[in-house]
Amino acid sequence: MIDSGAVGRWVSAPGAYDIVTGKARYCPDLDFPGMLIGKLLYSPHARACIRRLDVTAARMIPGVIAVLTHADIPGENSYLYAEPDQPLLVVDEVRFQGDAVAAVAAIDEQTADAALRAIDVEYQALDGIFDPLAAMQAGAGQVVAGKDNIMMHKTYRTGDVAAALASAHVIVENTYRTQWAEHAFLETEGGVGLVDADGGVTVYSSCQAPHRDRMQIARALGLPESRVRVITPYIGGAFGGKDEAHVQIHAALLAHAARRPVRLIRGRRESILTHVKRHPFIVHCITAATRDGRLLAVKARAIVDAGPYSNATHEVLNKFGEFIGGPYTVKNLEIEKIAVRTNNPITGAFRGFGAPQAAFVYESQMDDLARKLGMDPLEIRLLNGVDTGTRMYTGVVVREGKAMKASLRRAAEMMGWQQRGELGRQPATHLRRGWGMATILKGSGMGRGLPDHAAVLLEMHRDGSVVLQSGAADMGQGIVTVLAQLAAESLGVEMSSVHVVRADTAQAPDAGASCASRQVMVSGNAVLRAAVPIRDSLLQVAAEKTGVARDRLVLHGGRLHVDGQAHDLTVAELARRALFRGYPLQSEGRYELEYPADAPEVTYRYSQEVFQFCTQIAQVLVDCETGQVAVERLVAVHDAGKMINPGGVYGQIEGGVAQGIGYALTEELRVTEGHTLNASLENYVIPMALDIPELEMDVLEMPEPLGAPLGAKGIAESPIIPTAPAIRNAILDAIGRPLYQLPMTAERVLSALDAAPCADPA
Amino acid sequence: MTKKVHVQSTINGKATDFLCEPRQSLLEVLRDELRLTGSKEGCNNGNCGACNVMLDGRLVNSCLVLGVEVAGRKVETIEGLATPQGLHPLQQKFLEHASLQCGICTPGFIMAAKALMDKTPKPSEGEVRHWLAGNLCRCTGYDKIVRAVLDASGCPSPPA
Repeated sequence: MIDSGAVGRWVSAPGAYDIVTGKARYCPDLDFPGMLIGKLLYSPHARACIRRLDVTAARMIPGVIAVLTHADIPGENSYLYAEPDQPLLVVDEVRFQGDAVAAVAAIDEQTADAALRAIDVEYQALDGIFDPLAAMQAGAGQVVAGKDNIMMHKTYRTGDVAAALASAHVIVENTYRTQWAEHAFLETEGGVGLVDADGGVTVYSSCQAPHRDRMQIARALGLPESRVRVITPYIGGAFGGKDEAHVQIHAALLAHAARRPVRLIRGRRESILTHVKRHPFIVHCITAATRDGRLLAVKARAIVDAGPYSNATHEVLNKFGEFIGGPYTVKNLEIEKIAVRTNNPITGAFRGFGAPQAAFVYESQMDDLARKLGMDPLEIRLLNGVDTGTRMYTGVVVREGKAMKASLRRAAEMMGWQQRGELGRQPATHLRRGWGMATILKGSGMGRGLPDHAAVLLEMHRDGSVVLQSGAADMGQGIVTVLAQLAAESLGVEMSSVHVVRADTAQAPDAGASCASRQVMVSGNAVLRAAVPIRDSLLQVAAEKTGVARDRLVLHGGRLHVDGQAHDLTVAELARRALFRGYPLQSEGRYELEYPADAPEVTYRYSQEVFQFCTQIAQVLVDCETGQVAVERLVAVHDAGKMINPGGVYGQIEGGVAQGIGYALTEELRVTEGHTLNASLENYVIPMALDIPELEMDVLEMPEPLGAPLGAKGIAESPIIPTAPAIRNAILDAIGRPLYQLPMTAERVLSALDAAPCADPA
Repeated sequence: MTKKVHVQSTINGKATDFLCEPRQSLLEVLRDELRLTGSKEGCNNGNCGACNVMLDGRLVNSCLVLGVEVAGRKVETIEGLATPQGLHPLQQKFLEHASLQCGICTPGFIMAAKALMDKTPKPSEGEVRHWLAGNLCRCTGYDKIVRAVLDASGCPSPPA
């Protein structure tokens, strides 16, 4: 049914006009009569106990309307959606530089700052625990009193790894290190709290999960969820960093206490210091293969520094283990996953949930293996790649896996992989050029066994205009555009006739979080379902009016078509008549990712079963004197299942590659003894326009059976995942030296070269 | 209370008077006093360009200019770019090329690109990328932004 009209066309987002004219309102742009400015007092220490906390002087300042400490929280003083173990305002001990101690609301910014300065806190600095390896040892002391420093320790095994290793012809064994990475969404976290006349609260929230925010705000305020309303205005990026709640809860607490609107926006430095980072991993990995390059076994042990609180650590490590074998057939695998509490920055969701760290490991291993065997990196990947029907080491049987090898072959073709020998490898004595590839998979959706559903409300009015209520947050990834396209297509109207209301929990049903590349599958399919009864009503009226059988009637472009020919009757006219007859023109559509009853048992818990496959190939130029790496060219081939909005799909790929280049080469939060040294966009360096190479892209469309009828897979996460290992392998190709740590800064490239001078390219 | 200063300036072609404290940045004045919230704060220290405006025809980070500095001068913001006849070509091309995702950096990019085109009506791709190096975007990867600017200046750009 999806074959023409709005779907598959390059469309601009419904809000784009407001954005280019400066009219779009994000949280910091919202203003209400009597609105106060909220601010939080954050811990300057990585670890300290609070000897005294006195807010009396702050409360006395004229213009300060509310000052809150832990004692002033009406409900529960803890948050995080999975395991609420982070205090909203700490009681007696701060556990990372960024724990919040007090909250203030004042008539303006200066008065709020004065209130923060007037809060009297006496800290007694404590010895922090900063080394995750040391924190695992007995006698290390506890980061959180009464809780083991080892937050999680799980091992998953399949097959017989020991026997496979013993029989292997070749083994590569390395230790990898990855860094804390910062989302750097251009709009920092924010929320605006309002008190309703009936004592409930309304919160404008820059978030990924409005219904989950509602739950957390209600819990903190001690209110029923029915008295809390969360609305998402325009949101300036998230990338996983707004999946968990942040200051929207504090904004609600302050508004509730002050009985006035409160806007609370983090400054850039506060933002970098206080929200979760991508987990740093230390991974020891052994990969074994036969003489002809067939993978026999993967054995890995991952230790992550989680910071003091849980956040999405379990989920991230779970996904790491799920993908550590890569898009390859691996019969024997063992993955040990350990998360350790420290007094370092908190860590959590960031585009890819552990899959980027895993890909850096397995794709580096593949190239090291290929070198040892004297094989072509393309051939070893094609030899071991999964396909439709492959049973993965997780127990998942791949339903649609042709894209794995198809993306490899297409990327190789676009790059001209067979002409590698003709690459101008040495344009100057100190410059070396190289090519490297990486191919990955990433699951979409929450994973089997976890709730994964969405609902939408769709209504057509008598003039043929359509309103769609969806609880899916649009942080810039474009779900609003996609849902508008699908509604327009399904109801046979122009996209301009569809108004998608940005997520509002008072009006829209729960769609779950905008995470795990899932919304296009679940909310997209929910729109298709919601449209059915409305279309039925319109076609019923049309059949009655024209006397033509319904199966000859189609709605398209705002008009009835009979046998493919445009008819005089418009959709608006049909809507008016349907309402007159009392036929329903509003409907709820609900979709749940349903796994077939005969699907085989999955042994790796909560595995995702819809796979985004992709391959990227990078060309780099390494300056052997300075260690600097320039990415000169990058080919990216991605499987989207089905493209609804090609502009959005290509945009996600371009943006993901840019983030991947930053992750590979420059981005690293530098932390010493729990203190972040580069909490600014000046020295936490994200790519700019000059750093992005010539990008050549292609999108494969291999419809996913699990997400039927839509067939779209989601594309949000996969683009960032292969970039860093592709660049790593290109550096290896260029200089003959492998790197095992991210980011691959000039300094690290130079020290790799120190081990031996630039090797002549093979 | 700090004494406020009376400032007379021209903002988006209109004579505009405002009161501001000497410490207030132009960005704060635009957003908080004049309610022109199209200029965004991304970093408040000149790194991201989300607050870009034109001051007497020169591109500035409005977070690094004081409100009192604009006395007697002309300020152009994103809100003044479209005319009653329609969108500025840059705005139009940003729409056509889907050059935005979350959109928070977009006003800054458009103002920066306008400053480039005022100076160099037909920039090369290299010139565009160099000129836009002062603007950060975390969503798009910049390609479609560069394409939109090239297209708006009438330079052929390869199709996506």
